[in-house]
Amino acid sequence: MSIPGLGQLVAQQSTAPSTRTITLHPFSEWRFQISPTSSATCRLLTGTAERDGTELAQNKTYTLTRCRSKIISLTGATLEITGEFESETVKHHPHPADSPLVAYLNLHFLLQARRTQSSSSQSGSGHGPRVMICGPGAVGKTSLAKMLIGWATRQGEQPVLATVDPRDGMLALPGTLSAAVFATVMDVEDPEGGVGVSCTPSNGPSAVPVKLPVGYYFGRERVEDDGRLWRDLVGRLGSSVRAKTGGDSGVRRGGVVVDTPAVQFRKGEVKGLMHVIREFAVNIIVVLGSPDLEAELRRRNHKTPHGEPIEIVNLDKSDGVVEQDRQFLLSTRKALIKDYFFGDSKRALSPSVQSFSFDDVVIFRAVDGPDLDDPTQVLERAEISEEMSHWTLAVMDASVNDPLETIRQAPVIGWVCVSDVDKGRRRLKILSPVSGRLTRPMVWGRWPEPYVNLLG
Amino acid sequence: MDDHGAEVAADFREALQDLTTNARFEIVTLTNIARENANHGLAISEVLTNHIKEAPASKTLPALYVLDSIVKNVPTPYALYFGPKLYQIFMGSYTKVDSATRKKMDEMLKTWKEPVAGSISTKPVFPLEQVRPIENALLAARNAYMSQQNNFQSQQHLMRGRPAGPPARDTPTPPMGRAYQPPPHGQPPYQGPPNGQYPQHGDMGPGQQPYPMRSGNTPNGIPNRATPPQPAPSAGPYAHYQQPPSQSPYGAPPPGINIDKLKDDIQQLIELDRVDFAQNMHDASKQNRLKALLDLQKVVQSQDLPQAQLVIINDQVAKLAVNMRAQSQPSSSPSYPPLPYSTHTPIPPVVSQQFPPPAAAAPVLPQLPAVLAAALGRPASNVAPVAVAAPPPPRPATTGAAAPGTLSLDSILGQGALATLLAAKKPATPQQAPTPVIPPPTAVPPALAALRSPQQQSTPFQPPRAPAQQQQQQQQPPAPAAAAANPLTQNPSALLAMLRQSGLLKGTAPSVIVPTPPPAIIPSFPPPDPNIITLTPSSLKSYRPHLLPFLYDALGPPCSQCGRRFPTTEEGKKKKTVHMDWHFRVHQRVAEAELRGQHRSQFVSELDWIQSHEEPDVDYSAPSGGVEGGGGGIVRMVMSGGVLVVLVVVVVGGGREKVGEGGTETEEEVYYCAG
Repeated sequence: MSIPGLGQLVAQQSTAPSTRTITLHPFSEWRFQISPTSSATCRLLTGTAERDGTELAQNKTYTLTRCRSKIISLTGATLEITGEFESETVKHHPHPADSPLVAYLNLHFLLQARRTQSSSSQSGSGHGPRVMICGPGAVGKTSLAKMLIGWATRQGEQPVLATVDPRDGMLALPGTLSAAVFATVMDVEDPEGGVGVSCTPSNGPSAVPVKLPVGYYFGRERVEDDGRLWRDLVGRLGSSVRAKTGGDSGVRRGGVVVDTPAVQFRKGEVKGLMHVIREFAVNIIVVLGSPDLEAELRRRNHKTPHGEPIEIVNLDKSDGVVEQDRQFLLSTRKALIKDYFFGDSKRALSPSVQSFSFDDVVIFRAVDGPDLDDPTQVLERAEISEEMSHWTLAVMDASVNDPLETIRQAPVIGWVCVSDVDKGRRRLKILSPVSGRLTRPMVWGRWPEPYVNLLG
Repeated sequence: MDDHGAEVAADFREALQDLTTNARFEIVTLTNIARENANHGLAISEVLTNHIKEAPASKTLPALYVLDSIVKNVPTPYALYFGPKLYQIFMGSYTKVDSATRKKMDEMLKTWKEPVAGSISTKPVFPLEQVRPIENALLAARNAYMSQQNNFQSQQHLMRGRPAGPPARDTPTPPMGRAYQPPPHGQPPYQGPPNGQYPQHGDMGPGQQPYPMRSGNTPNGIPNRATPPQPAPSAGPYAHYQQPPSQSPYGAPPPGINIDKLKDDIQQLIELDRVDFAQNMHDASKQNRLKALLDLQKVVQSQDLPQAQLVIINDQVAKLAVNMRAQSQPSSSPSYPPLPYSTHTPIPPVVSQQFPPPAAAAPVLPQLPAVLAAALGRPASNVAPVAVAAPPPPRPATTGAAAPGTLSLDSILGQGALATLLAAKKPATPQQAPTPVIPPPTAVPPALAALRSPQQQSTPFQPPRAPAQQQQQQQQPPAPAAAAANPLTQNPSALLAMLRQSGLLKGTAPSVIVPTPPPAIIPSFPPPDPNIITLTPSSLKSYRPHLLPFLYDALGPPCSQCGRRFPTTEEGKKKKTVHMDWHFRVHQRVAEAELRGQHRSQFVSELDWIQSHEEPDVDYSAPSGGVEGGGGGIVRMVMSGGVLVVLVVVVVGGGREKVGEGGTETEEEVYYCAG
């Protein structure tokens, strides 16, 4: 005999109230918005469905929160969804061929063919396609980039996803340019679609394979806020990615997808894109929804360092991209910072809070209006003050004695958050993912804005 | 609800009364019960309080361990309930037990002042104001003792001399966290072996698994010694918690399945079926079933299956067992000498509760052949002329408990998994010897206990597949059916082919609307002709549904856990096996990791990133030579199966615990990325 009643207890709380089933036709999308405070679940009943190129497993319940995203089905699917949505709609097309997904999918198959080509024939360099996706804001650049990566990963490729858009924070906090190899499935439940900072390694296991990024801290929101640093960092990121593809044949074959900041088609911005094209040896440019930009890039068309022609194509922007409002972006950034230190719902992390003397830490800050003639004066020791409270600082992989230029361009190995500054006692309290001394130089960026409630 | 509370309380009391040793399993079970019934926490806490108060000295310590475990694992609400009474509970017990037990109680008390090890919370188990009065009282009492008992010192010394337990065991109860995996159900508590994670006290009953308290053995009467070792038959009371395998105790799938037991069960089924088959050699359905069982056995033996699948297999095996028993009774023919199957072993009462009595189960008979025939090749399939489709009879409700609808190998193993599983077949790996842990008779799960034939009990479980075949061939006149079936039994790939033809190995994706690609390109996936698509808007916008399968079916069936697809080629199957193993391990580790503090790792340096390498299908967390060599240095830079970044091998400071005496567990901390 057993303790009675145990099964009953569980049974009582089984069904959630608002379960419903939605049907997706082939090449249709289910778009949803979930507020940061609520969550919803989604389960694939039949057919196939995917988020950002990563397939959902059938009959597995995925919990989604804090996102504006979509789940698409290329072959048709039924989904069972529960929970609270700010909005959710199903976008059907009269005919599958009308969907912008058709072009994206064809693009993938084209890239896949290029990959095969590159590694099979003698003529192939072994280098898979390097794709840059660009266009104005809210056209679905990042989404397309993730889809291309997801599809490639599914076919066993190991492509690199790089972002030079400081706003994104791909596998890093916002304000960072980063890149990572994607060889494993992406986290469908991640609010950022598998590229959020919570998908980076912790010292524990993860049910979805973690991704290992390399990142460079920009610490600004817009490229034009510090164009010189951005170009330098793009150069660093590009050379790291090139080194990576050079040394790893799988990654070389997989190629690179570069996501770029939104451009409004101004001169400086196109120049920035040209810089990206050079640094990443881009040979395929995908312009989303901007024939003008396409024309301008064509005009400047050059060859890649390998001597290949650069191909440019303009595709329709993905319809239904929501213009992300400031408030939402702000809350996303806050959530990312929180995820970085404390983990997400699947993985609770225990960061350490430590007190340091002012003299124990070395914090730099970019010089305002740097003197272009003196390249050594790019950083200055920041004066520790209350103003620093609640800012996240990037910890650089450098030594405090390195030249300032080295520190400025060093890859970031993590972030800490200043939770309190006690000027009288000359001590500051720092929230750090790992406990230990902070011997590395830290850089105090100007963005993202401080997150007041991190410890409260 | 009140009634229910009283009921729970009464059952809890009964269970407590059966608790005579500090067997971990029972304590965990009781903790889980307390957790599940937290809404009746007050009642449960009262029962436990009273029990501790009234229990004889020998039973006090185990009961205290239960309290300790409950409070640490389910602090809300139990810490609140026990807190105010803590002084009485503790001191009341302290006065009635002997000094060795007191020592353990002291240790326990110490842990109450600290936060639960591995927990994020920094609050102590009990507020200091509740623990301190006890300490003060003890201090006074101890002074008295010290003067009174001279040998107390030496005892203490003795204990100190013993190697202290690993640091993580500082608390009597390892915090279980949410995903704690209780020991496998159906395994009696004293049956420690595969997960015998704690050093056994020398004076415990054989194989008994003590509740892990960091302390040494003490020469004078400690309670668990005072209790005589459990004689095997007395395991009766524990059967309370022994759910029949097909039923999970808490309404959720049992988190842990003992693979050894499962193997054992399958083995028994096979034995039985073999006998059955020997008598009905012309019955192709029986042969098919035997075949299926053998395959299942291989699959189970040759690899680590994810728990989820084990659970399902376990369920199915349990059901088969019931059905078989019912079936074998009528069919045992006198021509085969000693076969008093179910008459031999008394059927434990549980069986009658959970399963239909033999008579009721009788109608189930035809269903098995049907099911397995369906699984192994549809009648239409020309590869399997032996397959006989039996009429699908109505399923009795009892057997349909876990798997509504049809029962097939697919449903046993999870869709598409069979292919992978079969791929991992090692050439005729025979039975894992008589399973290192043959449960004593009483340990046999009720359903199977009934199955044991004297034959099995006298001979070890040697006969693996090959002998079985010989047996078949010897005893069997060259019957056409058998002849046709032989290629199947001999050649796993034939079975595979059969399965594939019967459509079992196809992807799960219905791919309703998509036209299937020409079959020729399914097995491999040649790239679409690069010239078909050009990088022009018009070419990119043309609809090419025929390419879609390259992202779906051509990649093989998806993993049920993460949707990743694996081709059905040999290599693909190998990869999937590794992949499923990975899921399984990660699942385990996630549970374990919740007990430890986790933190975000630092990103690696530029150089390390460039040199790191993604190997999604290699699991470096499995123990392998060379990895450990560094002793704290950098050994490899690999993003492995994604378990975690196998970047820097850090030997976690000397205090890492060894789990399991045989060292069977990976010391996975070693492989975690440096913090």
